[in-house]
Amino acid sequence: MQWGAYVHIPFCRRKCNYCDFASYGGREEAREAYVDALGVETLVRGQEMVLKHGRPATLYLGGGTPSALSLDQMGTLMALMKSVFGEPEEFTIEVNPGTVDEAYLQKLREWGANRLSIGVQSFEDNILKTLGRIHTAAQAEETVKLAREAGFENLSLDLMYGLPGQTMAIMQESVAKALSLQPEHISIYGLQVEEGTPFFKLQQEGKLNLPQDELTDEMYDYITEYLPEQGYRRYEISNFARPGKESRHNLSYWQDVPYLGLGSAAHSYLDGMRLENVADLDEYINTIKSGSLPLRSEEDPSQQHHMEEFAFLALRTAKGIDKKKFKDTFGKDLRSVYGKKINRLVRQGLLQENKKSVSLTKAGAKVGNQVFAEFLLS
Amino acid sequence: MESKHIRNFSIIAHIDHGKSTIADRLIEYTGTLSQREMEAQVLDNMDLERERGITIKAQTVRLDYRGKDGEMYQLNLIDTPGHVDFTYEVSRSLAACEGALLVVDAAQGVEAQTLANVYMALEHDLEIIPVINKIDLPSAEPDRVKQEIEDTIGLDTENAILASAKAGIGIEEILDAVVEHIPAPEGEEAAPLQALIFDSYFDSYKGAIAHIRVKQGYIKRGMKLKMMATGKVFEVTDVGCFKPQPVELGELHAGEVGFVAGSLKDVRDVRVGDTITTAERGAKEPLPGYRGVTPMVYCGLYPVESSDYDNLKDALEKLQLNDAALVFEPETSVALGFGFRCGFLGLLHMDVIQERLEREYKLKLIITAPSVIYHVYKTNGEMVKVSNPAELPPQTEIEHMEEPYVKATVIVPNDFVGAVMEISQDKRGEFKTMDYLDTNRVLITYHIPLNEIIYDYFDRLKSATRGYASLDYELADYQTSKLVKVDILLNGDAVDALSTIVHKDRAASRGRQLASKLKEIIPQQMFEIPIQAAIGSKVIARENVRARRKDVLAKCYGGDISRKRKLLEKQKEGKKRMKAVGSVEVPQEAFMAILKID
Repeated sequence: MQWGAYVHIPFCRRKCNYCDFASYGGREEAREAYVDALGVETLVRGQEMVLKHGRPATLYLGGGTPSALSLDQMGTLMALMKSVFGEPEEFTIEVNPGTVDEAYLQKLREWGANRLSIGVQSFEDNILKTLGRIHTAAQAEETVKLAREAGFENLSLDLMYGLPGQTMAIMQESVAKALSLQPEHISIYGLQVEEGTPFFKLQQEGKLNLPQDELTDEMYDYITEYLPEQGYRRYEISNFARPGKESRHNLSYWQDVPYLGLGSAAHSYLDGMRLENVADLDEYINTIKSGSLPLRSEEDPSQQHHMEEFAFLALRTAKGIDKKKFKDTFGKDLRSVYGKKINRLVRQGLLQENKKSVSLTKAGAKVGNQVFAEFLLS
Repeated sequence: MESKHIRNFSIIAHIDHGKSTIADRLIEYTGTLSQREMEAQVLDNMDLERERGITIKAQTVRLDYRGKDGEMYQLNLIDTPGHVDFTYEVSRSLAACEGALLVVDAAQGVEAQTLANVYMALEHDLEIIPVINKIDLPSAEPDRVKQEIEDTIGLDTENAILASAKAGIGIEEILDAVVEHIPAPEGEEAAPLQALIFDSYFDSYKGAIAHIRVKQGYIKRGMKLKMMATGKVFEVTDVGCFKPQPVELGELHAGEVGFVAGSLKDVRDVRVGDTITTAERGAKEPLPGYRGVTPMVYCGLYPVESSDYDNLKDALEKLQLNDAALVFEPETSVALGFGFRCGFLGLLHMDVIQERLEREYKLKLIITAPSVIYHVYKTNGEMVKVSNPAELPPQTEIEHMEEPYVKATVIVPNDFVGAVMEISQDKRGEFKTMDYLDTNRVLITYHIPLNEIIYDYFDRLKSATRGYASLDYELADYQTSKLVKVDILLNGDAVDALSTIVHKDRAASRGRQLASKLKEIIPQQMFEIPIQAAIGSKVIARENVRARRKDVLAKCYGGDISRKRKLLEKQKEGKKRMKAVGSVEVPQEAFMAILKID
């Protein structure tokens, strides 16, 4: 059985102003203990998975900022993962340009990582400052160069649009700069202001200088048109890749492929169940120390839930919902469950359908959430 | 009990001045309920009443009390509704008493509604005992409040009782004052029966039950009685008093307060203000003051899911069992489908009914903006009453229209007189009088269209006066007004449920405000939605809800799917609360948008 493993590192040098994910700026004193605890969880749950289903096809080390770990800590973790998971075909590590140097990158490659996801976000220094990023545009560029020198042949750059102070021209320059570095893969996300972040507070106070909706829409249009013209196929709503360079791990989230999530706040999808580790760092460490797993099941694993998620997750991909796979999984025709809705959405020009699959049209991709919500049955 | 040992009284107080707490203490002190049986504020037993701190239905309780003279007394406390919507009900409760406690907060002083009720009590010749409550508050100024009562009402406050219901101060003094100062009821036991109905409620076993005060004659189980206004005849199955649970006594005599039940299925047979007499050889004349139910405010109630229509009907019927003032009839709206036109005594009454439908009957409702009743004089000489703007005849058939006016009484500290005047002027009010209650507080009266009151008049008053303003109003008359109907078109189609009747001079600005408010409320959809406001065929305002151009999920961190699911569920839930009007999804609150402008 194909499956993937995700390992979460909840540390950052500082938390970005827009970030509401499970990560801690600082907490250096806890890192050693965290790596130990993570090691235990990897041994227990990782080995069990490998015994049952063989080694994972993909491994993804994300965060937070995995590269916020010291080289020693990273070395310990990498050795342990290698002993449990072997050498997956796709092994991605997220890095922040402000945290890695030549030696760090070389070591990552040496220890088995073969793909880097580099958090660039923008190539404009003022914007990087506003976002609270710890690096400059020049450092990002340097990181790409060093990664190539270290032997990474598969690089992904993260970019964002709809940022405070971002004009169309600034966004276009960032995209052009990214393309000039010839990454294999680009992820582009629109900024969302989440509750509890410094950006949220600024927005409440009317001090967040976001571009007008119209401008953000134009940026979206530009990106979704321009990147494919430059040879980056849009294989998923936010992800663009050179042919054959799609992230298998990322796709597995949308394609009903099981994954094991290790570390605080990590999510797993195993045997049709969605599971979640505790998000609090100390609770995670203490639970493991006390000899149990910090795991809880998230929700009811009814077939209806499963069907809804199968559908709305698959719709994020260019390939869409595979009708045969749907039938194999649920023993029902996709049309017998969603026929009416699909017909209507096709009429509205938001979905397209052929014999094998149902997928978003260009118009549908723009309003993806609206379409996805239609696939909730209750 | 001989009538010289009976005292019937009510409590007059402003919201929050401590009426319910005093009632509780009286019940406790007389041992009517043991401590254990006491719920806090026994008399307000509807959840909503407790939450809002108001009494909607009258409650009565009989207290047995040994007076200072060593004799046993029967004290009947009638708790009256404390809100301007229920003025008529209050007047009937007062008509059942010989006296009243006037409870005034020692820190806040007299308020507009209190004043209105005191005047009403004086009209009924009630003996009034002033009680200054909350004297234990640090901000209490009993002397100032006494002076205020003397100046504004002309009551002698020499014997005013200083109390704190919360701390249990002054309770015995209140009971003794009731015995000493409130006259015993008069009325011949031997005369033909006259019993005043001052409230009613529905019991699923016993049927409709009347709260009554026997003015003369007596009632015994098995007697055949007659409602004088409706002519309904029934046999008495139960008669008794409240302690505060109903206790059967088998009879009630002249001067006493209690309940009577019989073969009465419908609460509408038991009308507040009606007189009960015997079926044979009854009283010649009913007691004075009966008045039929007259709703002041109407609105449309529609189920969000059309399949809920029958449930809504059932729920309204059930509520009506207990609330004769609620009227409704089926209504159809092009935009909203099948629903009901409902009439209410006032805005609070409307709020309470809506909330109970949503809370107790779990109904998702669309409520159209409240409307008053317009008198429309047509060119053919006919006069029609219109409470639904959609039913207004075409402008060409209208000769002229009249709208209801009220006399509004506002009491504020004198710093805020300017603000009250500005708002009232803006609401088409005509200034009538201004009187100083004391050096600091002013009573202002305006003649003002009810139509303006039911919009945000009180809200604006309160916010402009930092909450100090208190308001009372009563229907004054109907006056000719230049009124027009403003229609709203969504995506080119007129939405009948959004039509509103406004004064001609403000039609243009109301139309613009309404269109722009709707623009805020109606979410972006897959296509552009033009919103137009029009009078007849003339468009007076136009707005656009842009088509939704983009709605994409953000990054998926570490396979956290449940976060995405939650977002989608929220989105879907939001959609459920909307009504599809033609091709446009319209949120519930859009139909109340008219109330949110200015």
